[in-house]
Amino acid sequence: MDMERPLSANERIKEKSRFLRGTIADGLTRVDTGALADDDTQLTKFHGFYMQDDRDLRAERGRQRMEKAFSYMVRMRVPAGIVSPQQWLGIEKLALERGNRTIRLTTRETVQFHGVLKSNLTPLMRGLAAMSLDTIAACGDVNRNVIATTDPSRGGLHEAVATLARDISGHLLPRTRAWHEIWLGQERIAGGVIEEEPILGRTYLPRKFKIGIAIPPRNDVDVFAQDLGFIAVVERGRIVGYNVAAGGGMGMTHGEPETYPRNADVIGYCDADDVIAVAEAVVTVQRDFGDRSNRKHARLKYTIDTLGLDRFVTLVNDRLTHRLGPPRPFTFESTGDRPGWAEDEDGRSHVTLFIENGRIHDLPHRKMMTGLHRIAELDVGRFIMTPNQNIIIADIPPASRPMVEALLAEHGLDDAQSGLRRNAMACVALPTCGLALAESERYLPALITRLEQELDRFGLAQEDITLRMTGCPNGCARPYISEIGIVGRGPGLYNLYLGGAHEGTRLNKLYRRDVDDDGIVAALSPLFAAFAEARKRNERFGDFVIRTGHVAATVTGLDFHENLASDLRS
Amino acid sequence: MMKTAVLLPSSAPFAADQIDALNGVIGAASAEQRAWLSGFLAGLQAANDSRAAAPPAAPPAKRVPLTILFGTESGNAEALANQARKAASKLGFAPKVQDMADFTPAQAAGVENLLIVAATWGEGDPPQRAQDFYESLMANGAPRFEKTRYAVLALGDRAYAQFCEIGRRIDERLAALGGARIADRIECDVDYETPAQGWIDQTLQRLGAEAGAAGDTSVIHVDFVRSGSEAEADQPTRARPFAAEIIEHVRLSGSRSTSDTYHVGVSLEGSGITYEPGDALGVVPRNDPALVDAILDTAGQGGDAALRETLTQRLDITTLTAPQAETFARLTGTEVPPADWLAGRQVIDLLERAPGKLSTEQLTALLRPLTPRYYSIASSRKAVGEEAHLLVGAVRYRSHDRDRSGVASVDITERSRAGGHLHVFLRPNPHFRLPAEPDRKVIMVGPGTGLAPFRGFLQEREATGAQGANWLLFGHRNYTHDFLYQLEIQDWVKSGLLSRLDVAFSRDQPEKRYVQHALWDARRDLYAWLKDGASLYVCGDANAMARDVHAALLRVLADQGNQDEDAAKAELDAIRRDGRYLRDVY
Repeated sequence: MDMERPLSANERIKEKSRFLRGTIADGLTRVDTGALADDDTQLTKFHGFYMQDDRDLRAERGRQRMEKAFSYMVRMRVPAGIVSPQQWLGIEKLALERGNRTIRLTTRETVQFHGVLKSNLTPLMRGLAAMSLDTIAACGDVNRNVIATTDPSRGGLHEAVATLARDISGHLLPRTRAWHEIWLGQERIAGGVIEEEPILGRTYLPRKFKIGIAIPPRNDVDVFAQDLGFIAVVERGRIVGYNVAAGGGMGMTHGEPETYPRNADVIGYCDADDVIAVAEAVVTVQRDFGDRSNRKHARLKYTIDTLGLDRFVTLVNDRLTHRLGPPRPFTFESTGDRPGWAEDEDGRSHVTLFIENGRIHDLPHRKMMTGLHRIAELDVGRFIMTPNQNIIIADIPPASRPMVEALLAEHGLDDAQSGLRRNAMACVALPTCGLALAESERYLPALITRLEQELDRFGLAQEDITLRMTGCPNGCARPYISEIGIVGRGPGLYNLYLGGAHEGTRLNKLYRRDVDDDGIVAALSPLFAAFAEARKRNERFGDFVIRTGHVAATVTGLDFHENLASDLRS
Repeated sequence: MMKTAVLLPSSAPFAADQIDALNGVIGAASAEQRAWLSGFLAGLQAANDSRAAAPPAAPPAKRVPLTILFGTESGNAEALANQARKAASKLGFAPKVQDMADFTPAQAAGVENLLIVAATWGEGDPPQRAQDFYESLMANGAPRFEKTRYAVLALGDRAYAQFCEIGRRIDERLAALGGARIADRIECDVDYETPAQGWIDQTLQRLGAEAGAAGDTSVIHVDFVRSGSEAEADQPTRARPFAAEIIEHVRLSGSRSTSDTYHVGVSLEGSGITYEPGDALGVVPRNDPALVDAILDTAGQGGDAALRETLTQRLDITTLTAPQAETFARLTGTEVPPADWLAGRQVIDLLERAPGKLSTEQLTALLRPLTPRYYSIASSRKAVGEEAHLLVGAVRYRSHDRDRSGVASVDITERSRAGGHLHVFLRPNPHFRLPAEPDRKVIMVGPGTGLAPFRGFLQEREATGAQGANWLLFGHRNYTHDFLYQLEIQDWVKSGLLSRLDVAFSRDQPEKRYVQHALWDARRDLYAWLKDGASLYVCGDANAMARDVHAALLRVLADQGNQDEDAAKAELDAIRRDGRYLRDVY
């Protein structure tokens, strides 16, 4: 680390936070404002929530002599995304009573509560804790919610990765009692025990850190978009070990080519028993070598590119008892979910429900909230939140399946979707996300409808094409690793990226800059026509646009901004 | 009771058919109606020919003592009492005005000449501050009034079932306790000014005669004066409001609020109005033109401009009373609707029972005069100069399949704009003032638009540098959309002017939370502040809020004082008598 450069402001905030306490507790008692102190809003991320304001209302608030319409987005920690029906009902109740009456499924297999007022934070946290759930480290410079392939039809394998996700999450969790003190009112430990963070350190990690676990051929977790990925190696029906991928990450900043999305490198193989040790080693290398001066350059992907991959792997191996072995072969087929029913050998059924943009609420034709409520009331199986913002009702006994089917039909939860829509994701963006430059979740459904008309003209209605939209370049919906990526630049304007691999192994490339709704449709329609006309057998759209020369393939993160069409070079 | 046939002699200065008509009315009138009519005519005369009539009376040789006792909630009874005092002075009395809040029946029983002006509040309740007096007068141990000559002027509102109930009961009680009623009680509706003044003048005249007969004075000459003294002649009044320019007209509620509250600033420059924080501004509204059209249509009247103007500016075209329903039934030959039919209905609903049946005269005679609405002033002159700020929540609701709008609130918020004018006059509220001592602590409970006077209080205390600590309890529906004046309140928290702020927003969580819950949650500090001499003010909704806050205060006093309910009640009464529990509720 370059000791000449000053630490970023966040590092100082963490340093003086007394292990993430700051003045949050004081701020909660101030009723004149719905906000928390600026520094505290950095610390609350470690507690699982962001302060936001309703940007639709910004213009009117000053006239009304009211501050910004502050509320909080609270994200749960639930490794592997599995909750019981009773927990689901509790989550729903909290969303109705303490949030904006919607549940938002996220790309990290968890739920977000939106529109939570300051006065409702404590009741919300206590409500979660009463169900053995929490929000610790769901955001912040820590290891975030650990995700794993959500494929309950693979019984023991799924159980194994889910357990591993919980174990990793628990092992890398902050040790501070700040969350329990502030939200549950638990007493500080008597005698003023000096707390320590043996793994994360007293200023935690330089930046967020994400871990995902995949069971090939499913790459639903987008394992190459994670800081650290584990790819299960299955022999004779059980997981013997994992290929280790490191250095993935989506975020970048417009106009700053030194920031870029990056696909993770596979750096080796470890036995199943060594996963926790590998995770700790990678995390501590990032802790010790990550950039704490420039937060835009602080993710593990930059640490690796700064150190060089070999040096990085050496540093990791130096911290391991069992060094990483050579990677084993693996093949991925897709990144999306598989909506619909699946059955396993034991006769249990699992149904994956498409939830557009992960937003659960009741629409006139799709009463998702009520439907899921009724299913949860049956008290069978489990609810699994997928990394594609969908939900699975898993482990349904044969006797209950007809009832579940009837409820799905009654509430419009089993509607068939086009290939494009069921593979599409959007981040939240406006009005609540402070980073959004353009609409995303509120806009994508209408854009999909327009694109569906184009696809339909060319007989591609059922073609699985991944499309991901974000309102800013930070990439919460993993847009740079989709076949069609659409990233907000400003109100109504987007950059259009093409050529990502359907199975999530290759980033996409800038194809059009600053296009509007019409521009997006106009750019894609002729490509759909050509694809229908000239695709090879089983060729994916993302591969087709590269083969036919519309964009160059992105090989590593470092060439993401390279090889652009001449009119796009700036 | 048999009515005495009172007939005009044929020598009366009227045509024969007029004498018949008058006999028809007067002969059938009750004593109360006759008293009202005589008062009305006297007042009308007084207003018309001013002091052209008689020369000033020679003062009686000995001034007759007179106590004018009032019980007021809105201030009208007090204003009338002061008016009576001035008239009595001119007639040679030695009058003094007493508030029931500071008087006991025992003191009243010692008075020889007693004029009572009693308001009835809500559903037949005495004004809050008159409650002690009223209750002990009604109690078994009440003193005898054998040596007291008295008369009662009752104020009320016919829109309420128990019209003038308190005045009536006081009148009957004093008679039962041996008092000598020297004039029939008059019961005044919201258009009380003219009849009340006529009745006051006549009653004083009679009282003077009787008191004089007992003493050594002779005839008292009546000196009719216009309402209000000469010194106040320039002050805008209800009858002559000031056209105040609207200089600020801002919706404070968020666009997603379920309420619709405005900050309205008016210029008082040139009005002569000098208000104190706590005072109210009377606003003479204009009716909704769409409703005027509907009334005209339904009544079968064309678009006569003069009539339209009268309905827009002069008459109450919404409030519906039982007497109106009776009159309408008589005029149209329809059935009188049952009493419960009136609930939630208005004049338009009545007219629809028999459309097109009223003449212009019948329609205008049916309607009551349009009355002003009062808004607590939300500013201090020390902070805003020659302006007054109002905090106005638009009243809108639906009943009996019709959208209804508050007459003044919607006129002010929806049909007014900056640059337009509001017709205003001052209504002082001397019983809702900041403590005289700048160091005294102040607790202000003001949910919703009840915040208004406290904004004035806080501006005043900031401007005067008063050192007493200030505690505000505010409440509404949603924190995000209904936190009125939030940025100003934040500034006051920051500057330390507000040493404590509590809020209760009812719809932000599953359980409804109101200011009384905030009071209970803060009971320890609340009790300490009260023990420390704090003045506690409550402003806002009279029915639910003020009642619940009162109950919460009793619970706090019982809990924190380790005392039973009666002791808590006694303690709160003592605080109230000490002038430290003040309410401005509506």
